[in-house]
Amino acid sequence: MQELKEQIKEIIVRDLKLQGIEPAEIDDDAPLFEEGLGLDSLDAVELVVLVQKHFDVQIEDMDEGQAAFKSINTLAEFIEARRKK
Amino acid sequence: MSMPRRTPLRFLEALGHNIFYLTLLLFGQGGAYLLLKPVIATYLAFSRKIHRNTAFYLKRRFPEHGPVRLWLDTFRLVHSFGQVLVDRGWLGLRGKARLEGDLLGAERLRELVAGGKGLVLLTAHVGNWQTALSHIRGLEVPINSLMHYEEEAVAKHYFDLRSGEAPFKIIKSDGFMGGMIESTAALQRGEVVTIMGDRYEGGPYAEVEFLGGKARLPTAAYSLAAATGAPVAILLAAKTGRRTYTINVWDDFYPAMGERNERRRDLSLWAERFAGSLEGYLAEHPYQWYNFFDLWSQ
Repeated sequence: MQELKEQIKEIIVRDLKLQGIEPAEIDDDAPLFEEGLGLDSLDAVELVVLVQKHFDVQIEDMDEGQAAFKSINTLAEFIEARRKK
Repeated sequence: MSMPRRTPLRFLEALGHNIFYLTLLLFGQGGAYLLLKPVIATYLAFSRKIHRNTAFYLKRRFPEHGPVRLWLDTFRLVHSFGQVLVDRGWLGLRGKARLEGDLLGAERLRELVAGGKGLVLLTAHVGNWQTALSHIRGLEVPINSLMHYEEEAVAKHYFDLRSGEAPFKIIKSDGFMGGMIESTAALQRGEVVTIMGDRYEGGPYAEVEFLGGKARLPTAAYSLAAATGAPVAILLAAKTGRRTYTINVWDDFYPAMGERNERRRDLSLWAERFAGSLEGYLAEHPYQWYNFFDLWSQ
């Protein structure tokens, strides 16, 4: 699971082109949007595409997205659970 | 809970609504069209609000018109809107009723869908846009419509009255991330997502030049397309006769975004392109613009 979290952090920093932040600096529990990492609705769309592209997991709706996009921890858990199905 | 105040204008509105309903039942579309002109003339004579709300657009579209011509412009604009409402009621009440129309650019839409990246169909509150939505069945992939609550209610009402299956699935734009997640998933499946590009209801936006002033337009459609690689096609409907309409693909493009700090600028460029198509449409159909509020001071 830790390896998956690191992978997600790297993808977020690299593919969303976040500047001035290193993957290791992202707190596993910090909110991804707004007051946490500061992602916005433009990033949400890209994140859905990135999760599909890198992990072959599709986020289908608002409820799934809201739960999965809370933090690195929740996103990793979501991907892990979907991969096992 | 307090009841709304019963003013003479509200009484007239309710009476007018019921008379139209009865006329449609008894005399069909033609009968209701006959009623429209005196009803609208009366409405314009008593309501200052409608003149104020239409002037935001009309004064920009016809800056050379004086008060008398502006009054006539308001009449034509409200009359055209009234006809669209009558058509909607008529289609809903008469199961076999139908409007005849052409989709100009249908082959181009099929080509864009065949690319397999999905398709964002950008439309606007012009002409009989609901007819446009129901006319795009022939694309052989599911169609989704990203809608605000009020539009959803209107569309549901219209399509629930009609027999048969609704031609598209509604994605609500009121939820988490404004329906962007469902829309992204639909595009990833290669489906079509229709979005109204002219009315800002919250979320990301760009301020672009439109009819001589800066207007705030939503940009969700372009970010969706850029992230998924989907093309955007601008599709606008116009009522061309009593029972005829035309739907035209005005433009299509593949939005792409550069660096993170340039995203807003990139989105503005696409929104400007949409505004340009809208201006072209309004040059041809000046009385089919149905945004009765000040788009330029949001």
